[in-house]
Amino acid sequence: MKTETTNYHFNSGITLESGESLSAFDLVVETYGELNADKSNAILVCHAFSGSHNAAGESDTDGKLGWWDEIVGPNKAIDTNKFFVVSPNNLGSCFGSTGPTSICPKTNEIYGKDFPDISVLDWVNSQEMLLNKLGISSWACVLGGSLGGMQALQWAITYPDKIKRAGVIAAAAKASSQNIALNEVSRESIRKDINFYEGDYLKKGAFPKSGLKAARMLAHITYLSEDNMNKRFGRRMQDADSKVDESVDYQVENYLQYKGQKFSETFDANTYILMTKAMDGFDPAKDFNNKLEEALKNVKAKLLIIGFKTDWLFPPERGKEIQLAAMQSEISSSYLELDGKQGHDSFLFKSKRYEDNIKAFLSS
Amino acid sequence: MNNPITNIITKWIEDNSRVIDFGCGDGSLLTELRDNKHILGYGIEIDPDGINECLKNNISVVEKDIDDGIDEFVNCNFDVAVMASSIQCLKEPNIALKKILNLSNKCIVTIPNLGYWRCRLALLLGRMPVTPSLPSSWYGTENIHLCTIKDFEDLCKEEDFIIEENMHLNKKRQVSSLAKLMPNLLSCEGVYLLARK
Repeated sequence: MKTETTNYHFNSGITLESGESLSAFDLVVETYGELNADKSNAILVCHAFSGSHNAAGESDTDGKLGWWDEIVGPNKAIDTNKFFVVSPNNLGSCFGSTGPTSICPKTNEIYGKDFPDISVLDWVNSQEMLLNKLGISSWACVLGGSLGGMQALQWAITYPDKIKRAGVIAAAAKASSQNIALNEVSRESIRKDINFYEGDYLKKGAFPKSGLKAARMLAHITYLSEDNMNKRFGRRMQDADSKVDESVDYQVENYLQYKGQKFSETFDANTYILMTKAMDGFDPAKDFNNKLEEALKNVKAKLLIIGFKTDWLFPPERGKEIQLAAMQSEISSSYLELDGKQGHDSFLFKSKRYEDNIKAFLSS
Repeated sequence: MNNPITNIITKWIEDNSRVIDFGCGDGSLLTELRDNKHILGYGIEIDPDGINECLKNNISVVEKDIDDGIDEFVNCNFDVAVMASSIQCLKEPNIALKKILNLSNKCIVTIPNLGYWRCRLALLLGRMPVTPSLPSSWYGTENIHLCTIKDFEDLCKEEDFIIEENMHLNKKRQVSSLAKLMPNLLSCEGVYLLARK
């Protein structure tokens, strides 16, 4: 699979939904496959909140497989033999694109807490600038899961002429009260870490690692299904010689401790707050009298909405709502409810049906 | 257009209609209607293979068990709903029909006729009937609410559904003037265009 990693610099800057602006910014982008002669085979994949530009194949930095490696690749659901897949790291993230850990050109200091609020629309606007930079007139498809699915939906609404298909997977048209509540507990644990310094930790040479770890541990639970957790860990005890922490009794505790620890070593705390805030704020209907069907009126893309039965973070009903609103607005739209064993995370894992359905949608 | 039922339904549906097909299978009827009548169509289906075919054919499809509810589509303003070969599989076909005519101006229904003489003969001979419109054996069938043409027309009267058009098909699933003469005895299947009063 032909893979390229490129850092795109946008010196024209961007005005954000909040009214603030960035005078210039970078997007680090991984691409897979090759753009065809008439530039009609480009697919944008959008990552969820902790993802990066490394969607497929091994990462250059840590050798880890990309977050959507089961779905994107040669002969996979998103077939890189046919499609030119573009996977940017989002603005505000911490894997190379401009974000809170970058240097602010005005002050020559790390942005930290002063990095402006970012919204899903801002990501889509920056991705549209990327589309122009690549010299492509429209995406054959934009797709993603979770917060990535929200970007796909925003794309269909904001740039109807620049997107042919949108795959909105394990997502919602807006965060629920429960979603916001869970995010707030995560944020609170970061903010109350003694090393957070109100977001200025990097300037102080500190890092709110324990807060970020706890935040991730909580969030991780929401990505799994109860059944899946029971099957994987049950009430089994952790062997004494492989405990990551003395306090651990059960395997599930050990697993969460391990995952939280790993995450806190690679992710940025301000980015965590910024990304979850973007998710909480997503609500494309807000500019349309709170009517999603009105927000969807001008959509020209075909929509494929997929929910997973075991997902309780963005349950299938949230996806159904999007399809129903699309139907009311006479937009071509399909809704699928897949089994998926892994709860919200099901969107990351391949299954025969999932693969067949995405292939069929992309071929139509 | 080799399928005579597709033929009939296509004739009854006006150009540019908004159509919802309950139990759309692989989407072949909607494909036909899209290509020849330029309709805006949505299919409702529960079979994964049918759903995947719909996606391939560029047909909008919603994965859903019709028994789980029809009400949610009430604000979608459909001109025509189609219920071909699926009404007898529903838990409450009479209520389903009522609800469908609540969300759509018209409804096209096909009814496998249990009053067909071959069915009657089979029962007379002590066997469950198997006919072109009722092809499954007793243990393999999804049909739980079978009726005769007379039963169905009685229901339409009771519920105030107007029968705007009907066609009666013979064993070969062709429109038959003989079947039209005594549909309850001689037709294998009925196709109805219903409207609300």
